[in-house]
Amino acid sequence: MAREHWSERLQRFDRRWIFLVMAVAVVVPLYFPLGLPARPDPMTKAAYNAVEALPTCQLDPVTHRPVPGSPRCARVFISIDLDPASTPEVEPFYRAVVLHLKRKHAQLVIATTWYQAPPLVERYLRETLDVAIAPAGTDGYAGAPDRAYERNVDYVNLGFRDGKGAIIQQFGTDLRSAFDGRADDGTPLDRIPMMQGLNKLKDFDLIVLVSAGSPGAKEYVQFVGTREKLPMVAACTAVSTTDLAPYFQTGQLVGLVGGMAGSAGYENLVGKPGAGTAGADVLNIANLVVIAAIIFGNVVFFAGRAHRRRGGRS
Amino acid sequence: MKKTVPLVIGMLFGAFALAEFYIPHHQVGALSNEFRSWAAILASSAFIIGGINILQVTWPKIRRREPDWGYKVVLLAGAAVMLLAGLPWHKLGDAPTHPTVTFGPRLPAPAPGEPPAAPAVFVKVPADVTYQIGATVGAGTGRLEVVRVAPGEVTIKLSRRVPGYATLETKATLIERDTITVEGDPPMMWGRDGRVFVWIYEHVFGPANATLFALLAFFVASAAFRAFRARNTEAALLLGAAIFMMLGRAPLGGAISDVFPDFAQWLLDVPSNGGRRAIMMGAAIGAIATGLRVILGLERSHLGND
Repeated sequence: MAREHWSERLQRFDRRWIFLVMAVAVVVPLYFPLGLPARPDPMTKAAYNAVEALPTCQLDPVTHRPVPGSPRCARVFISIDLDPASTPEVEPFYRAVVLHLKRKHAQLVIATTWYQAPPLVERYLRETLDVAIAPAGTDGYAGAPDRAYERNVDYVNLGFRDGKGAIIQQFGTDLRSAFDGRADDGTPLDRIPMMQGLNKLKDFDLIVLVSAGSPGAKEYVQFVGTREKLPMVAACTAVSTTDLAPYFQTGQLVGLVGGMAGSAGYENLVGKPGAGTAGADVLNIANLVVIAAIIFGNVVFFAGRAHRRRGGRS
Repeated sequence: MKKTVPLVIGMLFGAFALAEFYIPHHQVGALSNEFRSWAAILASSAFIIGGINILQVTWPKIRRREPDWGYKVVLLAGAAVMLLAGLPWHKLGDAPTHPTVTFGPRLPAPAPGEPPAAPAVFVKVPADVTYQIGATVGAGTGRLEVVRVAPGEVTIKLSRRVPGYATLETKATLIERDTITVEGDPPMMWGRDGRVFVWIYEHVFGPANATLFALLAFFVASAAFRAFRARNTEAALLLGAAIFMMLGRAPLGGAISDVFPDFAQWLLDVPSNGGRRAIMMGAAIGAIATGLRVILGLERSHLGND
C-alpha cells in the first residue's frame, strides 16, 4: 500500500487544533498586550472632526449651567441600536464618543430602535452619563475631565420604540409624538428644559448612530438623513463597514467608525484607550492566525494538486 | 373580498407614502405622521402575534414528542419566564417610594459669639445602599452615620448599587440645629428595569448572545484553512484582497508598513464601494419596481395563497 502524501494527511487535519490556536490568539493578547498604536483611518478621523466641530459651551463650575455670553451647548441625538453580541465592536466607540461629547458639555438625547437594547442602554447611562468617565487624575488620560450628567437635565433617555424604518421616519418629523411626549422614565418632555426646541432630528447639531445592524445607520440614512440633510456619524460592526462606506463617500454620513479597529482609532483620538484598544490587540493576532490558516490551507492544497499531477493518489 | 380589501388598503397607503415625499404641505405631513404612528402600533402588535405564533408552532411538536421537543420546552419556558419577569408586579403592592425621615431633637444652641450649628442628618441604611444627602454621596454601613448639611431644602436619595431596585427620594427643609434621621431600604422592582429581568438579561441572554457571535472567529479560522483556496484568478484576487484588508484594518499592518492601511483603504474606497454602489442601485431599482407593482395591484404574493 502506497504511503499517504503529507498534503493528504493535512487535508484531514483536525480543525480543533485551529480552534485551540485561535483561542490562544484571542486570550493571550488580553493579558500581554502588544500595545501597537491604533491608527485612525480617514473615516474615523472624519467622525472625530464632526464631533470636534460642535460648539463648546462654557459652564458655571458650581451650577453646571451655561454662563451668560457663552455659545449654546451642542445638542446631540444618539441612537444606540445594538445587542450584547455586537458590544465588543461598537461599545468602545460609544464610550469614547460620549466622553468626547461630555468634554464639550453637549446635551444628549438617547433612543433605541432595537428591542434587545434597553437593558444595555440603561447600563451605559449608569456607567457613562450618571458618573464621570474620566474625572481629573484618571490614569493614562491627559484630556479634559468630564463630569457626571444629570438625567432629564443634561441628558434625556427616550427609550425604545419599535417600528423600524417607519419609526425612524417619524423621528425625523416628530420625535415627541414617536415617544408619546414622554421620556423613558415617564417625565413629560415639555417639563424638561433641555428639550425645548427639540422636536425632530433636524433640530439636533449632530446625530450619532451606534449601529450594529438593521434597523440602524442604513435606515437613518435612507429614511431621514438624506431627506432632511442631517449631519450623521455612525459606528458599525466590521462586516457592515462595506455596506455603509458608500454613504460616507457621498457625504450622507459625515463620519464612519468601522468595527473594533475603528473604535480603537477613535479612542486613540479622544486620548483614552479602552476596550477598543485592547480589542485591537486581539485583532492583530487573530487576523494573523486567519492569514496563517489561509496560507497553510493553500500550501496544502497546491502541494496536493502537484502530487496528484505527478501521478500520486487522488 | 378577502383579497380585494387588503389590496385596496395597500394601494392607497402605498400611493400616499410615495406621494407624501413630493408634497411638502404640513397637513400631508401631519397625516403621514399619523400613519407612521399606526405603523409603530402595528409593529408592536406583531410581538403579540409572534408570541401566539410560536405557541401554535411549538406546542403541537411538544405534544407529539417530535425530535428536539425538549429544546422547544426550553424556548417556551424562557419566553414565559421573561414575560413574567417583565411585568411590573411591584406596582401591585404598596412598596415605599421615599425614605423614612424623622425629625429629632434640635442641637444645643451655640454659645454667645459662636456660629449656629449646621443641621445634622443621621443616615441608617443597609451596607449595599448608596445615600445622597444634598451634595454628599456615601455608602451605607448598616450603622448610624452623620452628614452635616447647609440649612435649606435638601434632597435625600437612597439607591442600591446593583440595578433593578427602586430609588427612594424625598426632600426635607432644614433650619439651623435641626436633626433628622433617614432610614430606608430600596425595594426590588419587577418589569423591564427590575432585578430579575436585568439579571437574566445580563447573566443569561447577554453571554449566550455574545458567545454565539464570538464562535464566528473560530469558524472563520477553520473555513480559512479548509475553503479559502486560490483555485483560479478570481479566487486568488479575493484571497489577496482579504489578506491586505485583514492586515490593513488591524494596527499590526500600520506598524509593519503604511502600505497596508493605505491599500486597505483604497480597496474599500474604490473597488468595494464601486461594487457595493452598483448592488445598492440595482436593489433600489428592484425595490421601486416591486413597490409600484404593489401599489398598482399587480403584485399580490404578499396577500398569501388562501
